[in-house]
Amino acid sequence: PPKKKLGHPSELPPEPAPDYEGDESFLRRVHHVLLEVEVLEGVLQCPDSGRRFPISRGIPNMLLSEEE
Amino acid sequence: GRLKMAAGGGRYFCTAGRGMEPFLAREVRARLGATEVDYVTGKVFFSTEAEPGELRKLKSGERLFLLLKKCTPLMVSRHKGKMLQEIKSLVTEEPKYWLDVISIWRNFHGHEEKKDDVSQENQLPLKRKSEEETNIATKRQKMEQERETVSEECQAGAGEGCVVPERKSDWDCQTESETSLEDRSKSSGEKPIANSEQLNFSFRVSCRCSGAIAKILPSQEIGRAVGIALMKQCGWRADLRYPDLEIFVHLNDIHTVVGIPLFKLPLANREYIKTAGLRSTVAWAMASLAEISAGASVLDPMCGLGTILLEAAKEWPEACYWGADISDSQLEGADVNIRTAGLMDKIELLKASVRALPLPSESFDAVISDIPFGKKFKITKDIQLLPDILQEMERVLRVGGTVVLLLSQDLHKRMDAITKCAENDSPNAISDGASETATAKALKVDGNSSSSVNGVEESCLSSQRTRFGSLVPDGIYGVSLGKTDAFIYKYRKISTAGNR
Repeated sequence: PPKKKLGHPSELPPEPAPDYEGDESFLRRVHHVLLEVEVLEGVLQCPDSGRRFPISRGIPNMLLSEEE
Repeated sequence: GRLKMAAGGGRYFCTAGRGMEPFLAREVRARLGATEVDYVTGKVFFSTEAEPGELRKLKSGERLFLLLKKCTPLMVSRHKGKMLQEIKSLVTEEPKYWLDVISIWRNFHGHEEKKDDVSQENQLPLKRKSEEETNIATKRQKMEQERETVSEECQAGAGEGCVVPERKSDWDCQTESETSLEDRSKSSGEKPIANSEQLNFSFRVSCRCSGAIAKILPSQEIGRAVGIALMKQCGWRADLRYPDLEIFVHLNDIHTVVGIPLFKLPLANREYIKTAGLRSTVAWAMASLAEISAGASVLDPMCGLGTILLEAAKEWPEACYWGADISDSQLEGADVNIRTAGLMDKIELLKASVRALPLPSESFDAVISDIPFGKKFKITKDIQLLPDILQEMERVLRVGGTVVLLLSQDLHKRMDAITKCAENDSPNAISDGASETATAKALKVDGNSSSSVNGVEESCLSSQRTRFGSLVPDGIYGVSLGKTDAFIYKYRKISTAGNR
């Protein structure tokens, strides 16, 4: 699959619009991001702690350090 | 004898690693609707009408054979000649018999020959010069002696782990060899007017002999006798390296079995696994114990190259699979395996430690893992790590979920000490009854563990007994991993008062 830098996809709004269920083109873009995009290099961020977990070659590194 | 191939059905036998027989017996019934299922150590016999494509899918067996003959063990007598005659008579049949065998074999190998061509019976024009052939062959015969079980059957592909067929049990006095006769008679000038296919047809006799018979007749002598008998009868050419047809003869104290292997590669060679870690047959068996249903979430928190996840995802694709490991190189290998198998949609990988899993509690229906301790690592460290590992496995598991672990011989003793649940150690019986035999075997093997060792461990870990109170033993199965033995442990998570 072709590698693509996702960055901040301007295709998607920061939040879904109120009537997003009927917006087919929006739904297609969401489907694409959720199910067809594989992150090869990137970061996962915990929404609570903000702790970042790097993703390398498609595999997130979730090893904790000794202090955590 | 007549081949039982009426109505497209047949009788087969499949070799199995020690301990895998009950799994294979259950599998042939479930996958192939097999009947008349019967097994002894190392072999499962069954009848089925399934097509070759279905037979190829068997996951817990080693090699599949068409059964040609199964009879009572050879009578041991002082007269070797008499015994050899009896052995030769095993393969002495009417010409049509062997033509039928070839056509069945061709069917399995994807050749669809028209019956007419092959049935052009050549009336054995070689008969006249058969004596000459034999003399030449005898002079030039090569004898190969294989003492290891790892023989021609272990044709490892590049990068693949070597699949070791069933191990010899200790009480067998075994010699094992592959014998073949090189037929140089083509140089003798006389060209028989036989069907050209018949001429080019090559064979090899693989003979295994153990028990009382082996003491009198070594397997290479038996193989030679059978080979000569076949050459005389059918005019086939002997080829040790790349025979068309292999005739398999197994003589022991239990029975005499003659068969032909139906596939070139062992069943345990999976075309969807690039680099095997754990033996694929054992990995599949473990997954089959985990009770994976549609929509289940399955975790292997020490996945290594991902063999268990691959076997499970192939067989039970309607589930979600997660694998975790701390090693980059293992994860890389697992990633390649998953991509090669086309299972990227089904298996997710994480770099994470089994002692601190980044996963929510009670989020998995099954945890399946091959615990590497006791094989590579020093056993002294394991006793500290195992409780942490079990604790995390228990935490992420839903109530009613299963844990299936593979433990080395050393480790399983520690396991008993850690997870002993009061007085009730008997695993729940599994309906086919085979697991009870395996359990008894497992416990019997363990009978010589010193009680003082267990006593010390118990007192050290007694405070931890209650930690795993929700994991109830649900079966123990002894299996052979080739050079070593191991135990599959199954647990079920029950709800306990005071949990949450």
